[in-house]
Amino acid sequence: MPIDPSVVGRVYPPQLYEVSREKIREFAEAIGDANAAYIDTAAARGYGHADVVAPPTFVMIPVMNGFDLLMKDLGIEFARVVHVDQRFTYSQPLPVGTRVEATTRLDGVRAVAGNDLLKIRTEVRAEDGSDICLSEATLLVRPEDSDGRDASD
Amino acid sequence: MTERVTEQLVVGDVVADHTYWITRENLVRYAGASGDFNPIHWNERVATSVGLPGVIAHGMLTMALAGRLLTDWLGDPAAVVEYGVRFARPVVVPDDDIGVAVRVAAAVTEVRDDGLVALELTVKVDEQKVLTQARALCRLPADRPSQP
Repeated sequence: MPIDPSVVGRVYPPQLYEVSREKIREFAEAIGDANAAYIDTAAARGYGHADVVAPPTFVMIPVMNGFDLLMKDLGIEFARVVHVDQRFTYSQPLPVGTRVEATTRLDGVRAVAGNDLLKIRTEVRAEDGSDICLSEATLLVRPEDSDGRDASD
Repeated sequence: MTERVTEQLVVGDVVADHTYWITRENLVRYAGASGDFNPIHWNERVATSVGLPGVIAHGMLTMALAGRLLTDWLGDPAAVVEYGVRFARPVVVPDDDIGVAVRVAAAVTEVRDDGLVALELTVKVDEQKVLTQARALCRLPADRPSQP
C-alpha cells in the first residue's frame, strides 16, 4: 500500500548524539582514511580546530537515527529501503565532544512506478542551537508485497 | 598536499584521482562503525532475495571513499562545505579477498571569487558510473594566492 501523503510535514523529536573520540577513530578506520585530523589533536589544531574532527560523512550516524524514527513511524522495514541520493551542507566542523541534535522532517512523498520516494530533511545542530549540517536525502521504499519483505528476517 | 591546493586552479583540472578497493571485510567494518546493519550489505541470501545481484556496498561507504579523495587533497576535512551524490548503481562486492575497484576522480567545475571551488566527482566501477551528480564545494586554504 502506498504511503499516505498526509504524513508529509511530520517532524520527529530531535535525536541527541555525542561525538566521541573512539567513534571518530572507528569510522575513519572503516573508510580507510588515515587523515591525521581525525586522530591527532595537534594535527587538527594545525587546521585551526580545537581538537580532532569527524570525517564529512560521519554526520550520517545521527541523521540515520532520525531515519530510523521515521521508518518506524511509517511502518517501513529497513530492507525495503534504497538510498537514492544524499546531500550535506556544512555550516561548521564537527569536533569531538560535540553534542548534536538531529531533527528529521519528512519533506515529501511521491509514488513512482509502484515505489514511494521519500524526501527527508535533517537539521543537525549543536547544543547552543548553531547549525552544523543540513542533510537532504531521498529514499526509495519498495512496496510491502515485493520480495523485500523476506529481508527483514 | 597543501601545496597542490594553493596552485592556480583552472576549470577542467583533474585535481586528484585514486582507485579504492572494497571487500566484504570493509562492509562489515563500515556496518559496525556507521550503525547501518541492513543485511543487504553482508548477507548474500538476503541480498539476492530482494533482487540484488549479490551483497552490495553501503551507498554511504562509496560516498565516504569518494569524499576521501577530496579530504586527502585538501588536508583539512572541514574544508568540504557541500557534498552531495546520487546513488545511481549498486556496487556489488564479491566474496573474495580482492574486492571491487572503485575509481574516483575529481575535476574542477568552478573557481569562485570567494575562495570556494566546485568539483565534480567521477565514481566508476568497471567503467560504469556508480555515483552520479557527485558534486562538492570546497574551501581552499587561506594562504592560497589570489586570482589574477
